[in-house]
Amino acid sequence: MRTLVLYLAAGVVYVAIGVAFPGFLYSAVVCAVYLAVTVWAIPERIRRLRSR
Amino acid sequence: MSWSTHDLEPYVFQRKLGLGVAFVPLLAGSYAPDILTKWFVYGFDFLGVHLRASDPAQFHRGWPGVGFTHSLAFGLVIAGLVYYFTRSRVWALSFLIGCWAHVISDIGDTVGVMLFFPFSTDHVAIDAWAYAGHLGRMTDAAAYYSGLGWTWDAFWAVCALLSWRVLTTEYFRTVIVPADPLVWQKLVRRYPEGLLLTLYRAMFFWGIARLTAWLIWAHVFNDYSFDLSWGGPHWVDAAGN
Repeated sequence: MRTLVLYLAAGVVYVAIGVAFPGFLYSAVVCAVYLAVTVWAIPERIRRLRSR
Repeated sequence: MSWSTHDLEPYVFQRKLGLGVAFVPLLAGSYAPDILTKWFVYGFDFLGVHLRASDPAQFHRGWPGVGFTHSLAFGLVIAGLVYYFTRSRVWALSFLIGCWAHVISDIGDTVGVMLFFPFSTDHVAIDAWAYAGHLGRMTDAAAYYSGLGWTWDAFWAVCALLSWRVLTTEYFRTVIVPADPLVWQKLVRRYPEGLLLTLYRAMFFWGIARLTAWLIWAHVFNDYSFDLSWGGPHWVDAAGN
């Protein structure tokens, strides 16, 4: 459930950016990087910081 | 042309075919007909010069042009090369399924595809929605998401959402990775599973998100009108009519 919420939140932000700047929607690579950062890298970083 | 359809079809086929296909070539096949050509259809700026095909629709789908990428034979030839280099029947078959799905989906617009090239250069088209690639990316998006094209995307979005189990960690571990020793089995030894799982899900995310975003952009933030009649929207100067 936590993962689903994370993807939905990332989706809402992606759609908002895309509507404001349609060029953001063009690239599959940009989308993959965006998703890797928002649903994996940032949560992973936060998890590591918390576990210290 | 179709938009999110090409992102979402591979996940639906993956759900149906399970261990019989490998996801990476399935996705590569789905993108293959457009991947090296679409940039020249819409045009791009290089060193201050705008480069673009003089007749984008002819270039994209015709002959002379690169329309052969949208034929059944193209999928067979590239799948043959995939088999030659990988010796993997699963990879070759997966690429073929992805590529043919793309080609058959593109029959829906007013330009259609040279399905039986090189035996025939006749275009097979059902003219359901307007082809507007020659008018630039923004107009193409506005037209596609105002006519029946977006319902085709929506159909595949529903099919993909009904196939949601392909997105689970368990499915990734028990089907996606075991089915593909060439890519996923190597990657899981080197990179965190969480990152790979995210990348595996990325094109599903892109398909659903850009379908949503373009609809909002065209109909909430702009005033493009819906025209769900056959061949529409008729407010755009479609190619192939």
